[in-house]
Amino acid sequence: MTVLEEGIARPHAPERASAWEVVHDWVTTVDHKKLGVMYISSALVFFLIAGFEATLMRIQLAVPNNDFLPPNTFNRLFTMHGTTMVFLVGMPMFFGFANYLTPLMIGARDLAFPRMNAFGFWLFLFGGILLYFSFLGGDGLYGAGTAPDVGWFAYAPLTGKAFSRGNSTDYWILGILVSGFGSTGTALNLAATILTMRCPGMTWGKLPLFVWLMLVNCLLTLIILTPLTAAQVMLLFDRYLGAHFFDTQAGGSAVLWQHFFWFFGHPEVYVLILPAFAMANEIVPVFSRKPLFGYPFMVGATVLIGFISLSVWAHHMFVVGLSPAANTFFTLSTMAIAVPTGIKIFNWLGTMWGGKIRFKMPMLWCTAFLFSFVIAGLTGVMLAVVPWDWQLSDSYFVVAHFHFVLIGGLLFNIFAAIYYWFPKVTGRMLDEKLGRLHFWIFATGFYLTFTTMHFPGLLGMPRRIYTYEAGRGWDTLNLITSLGVAVQLVGLTFFLWNVVRSLLKGDPAGDDPWDAWTLEWSTTSPPPEYNFEQIPVVHSRRPLWDLKHPEDPDWRYE
Amino acid sequence: MSTPHREHPDAVVAPAPTMWPMLAALGATLVFAGLVTHVVATIVGAVLFVISAIGWFREVLPEEATEIVPFVAAERRARAVVASTRTVEHLHPGGPGGHRMRLPVEIHPYTAGLRGGVVGGAVMALLACLFGLIDQHSVWYPINLLAASAVPSLATASVPELMQFSALGLVVATIVHGLMSLLVGMLYAMILPMLPRQPILLGGLIGPLLWTAIIWASLGIVNPTLEERIHWGWFIASQIGFGLVAGIVIARSEKIQTMQALPIALRAGIEGGMPGHGGEDEK
Repeated sequence: MTVLEEGIARPHAPERASAWEVVHDWVTTVDHKKLGVMYISSALVFFLIAGFEATLMRIQLAVPNNDFLPPNTFNRLFTMHGTTMVFLVGMPMFFGFANYLTPLMIGARDLAFPRMNAFGFWLFLFGGILLYFSFLGGDGLYGAGTAPDVGWFAYAPLTGKAFSRGNSTDYWILGILVSGFGSTGTALNLAATILTMRCPGMTWGKLPLFVWLMLVNCLLTLIILTPLTAAQVMLLFDRYLGAHFFDTQAGGSAVLWQHFFWFFGHPEVYVLILPAFAMANEIVPVFSRKPLFGYPFMVGATVLIGFISLSVWAHHMFVVGLSPAANTFFTLSTMAIAVPTGIKIFNWLGTMWGGKIRFKMPMLWCTAFLFSFVIAGLTGVMLAVVPWDWQLSDSYFVVAHFHFVLIGGLLFNIFAAIYYWFPKVTGRMLDEKLGRLHFWIFATGFYLTFTTMHFPGLLGMPRRIYTYEAGRGWDTLNLITSLGVAVQLVGLTFFLWNVVRSLLKGDPAGDDPWDAWTLEWSTTSPPPEYNFEQIPVVHSRRPLWDLKHPEDPDWRYE
Repeated sequence: MSTPHREHPDAVVAPAPTMWPMLAALGATLVFAGLVTHVVATIVGAVLFVISAIGWFREVLPEEATEIVPFVAAERRARAVVASTRTVEHLHPGGPGGHRMRLPVEIHPYTAGLRGGVVGGAVMALLACLFGLIDQHSVWYPINLLAASAVPSLATASVPELMQFSALGLVVATIVHGLMSLLVGMLYAMILPMLPRQPILLGGLIGPLLWTAIIWASLGIVNPTLEERIHWGWFIASQIGFGLVAGIVIARSEKIQTMQALPIALRAGIEGGMPGHGGEDEK
């Protein structure tokens, strides 16, 4: 063992660590890469749980007059499914990828506050566990209810003590509150890292777009979590201390919660989708063998999306009965956000245009993302039109729309990112054949489920109903929707099998299996704890391109 | 902010692993969990949080606890990035390979589109009136048909009524036709330079046919009166008349340069004289 002048030298890792040593190593780690892996792994576990809940719901809705599930259980399942997917899958996926990749991409050794990073992760995990403990302990002191059953946006005053007895709603509040503290810390940490720890030469104009988007996302997270936390504390005051913020009979407001929640809730959609954009920004150019088209516009569009997303929240409240002026404003702002989003779509297409496209697994998923996200955007603009929204608010059309955003947009790119960066994280390639089976089967199931789901919504089927009468024109459509879920499960099985198999005996990845251009590919796979022996110096947005093509480096043109 | 990772020749000084963040998070969670389980959970959580906070502070004050992480052996380090043997091909607008072949480096001015719209619209109106004279012996017939989309009384009018002069119909039809002609003319001016090969042929014949197909599919919703009485042969002829005449008027105008091919810095007026860079493609 070598002891230098400060700190304690770590012995070289033994060939085979005991299980206790492995657990201790991961529990006490402050390394951004391990915490990133823990974020992503936890999110994947919660994703499987949420997927299981969705499957149960789709079995219930597959045929009319079904009683596969009791009504109260159905309410708990859609509440937990939505809450889990937003707070325990989407957010930690964002933080996981940001944690792992940001320091590597900006040539840093870790985040600015490594211990706070660990604190943030554990708060997220324990918050999630507290939420799910409600299934066991939801009876609590009062013996009423189990898991929360108030929907993922938990509208007050229906979540007040008078309408929501027992502790189930409290679990929803507290679980999300605790996770939210962790998210705030991690967002602050990432923003500080990006602002202060970029390697020499990495000016704002040379920052990888992935990192740009993560910065905007962190700032957005810091802005929007505050009103949610405030509203949750107000609701706790109402429930425990007899306050009347949301109690209409005592002068409280019936719509105040909605304003607070959706001021968080809609930008939250962008907090979830911007990481997906960030992933596409890295993957599409590498597999098109071209630099990203319109880098400055992509940065500008991202910042614009961040700003505009803060002014669209009340399009979730058109059916509340807003004033004509408010309806007009939120319609226009919602439509306006399609402009920077459209710029991104066109720039990705511009990147692919004329390139030598390699349809490896990451690119396949990104291409499917582009297709799905355009459809999601179009139905989003449709829902921004007030009369249309009045007709279809709280219908399955809305459910189909946001699943196109969050599955076709976010999840597709998460799959792309896993295929792309799995070799860097593990040192092994994911299997291409199993990957293609995963892609085609899952994508088929996805389109079967969620394309079909638009139509019962158009035919008037409300979301969250426990069952329905036969003969309304919804029967066959719901059956197809549920069958699509079964197809998705088959695809997902291939993915899980691929991950396990590749972890055990995947092909060695090497340092740079995709011939990519950002700094993470200049270190080993997996990277050492310190990331780089020497802090890199960059001269352009594609530092590895400059090294691979000294005769034609990017810095000549930037 | 943490200031670890000081450099050594063959090692890095990194923050030491610690259990306190995990225990502090557990303590904080238990504090809240006590609200829905038992007060003991809150007490245990608070105690755990305080102990963890003390432990955490002692690790970072007055000096941060660190560990030395030696570099991995040389043979296990990342390989140096080597220069690629593949050549790089730069793509230029209109260059070989078809990249951005249709990027309009030069376009017709908007005023040409407005002129084309006015002249093309006049020709189209003449053809439509000719249809009225030949088919119904009334020049007002096609005018009233067009106005029927916005004038309820004309929408329910009989054929003899449609053949009579209507001031309201004339005003509405003039506004509808004039506006549409101007807008389509401007659109035409913008897309004409992007149409490959025979732009006048494409814009004057194929474009009107596609436009007619769209009208055919949607006319029942927009103007049911017109749909009942429309003569598709004359309709197509008037569309082609507009397309050909407007196309010729626009094509005769002098093109102006766009800034599409210029770098962003030049376009934004930040700096000038940068070399053009159309992207590259590895071969």
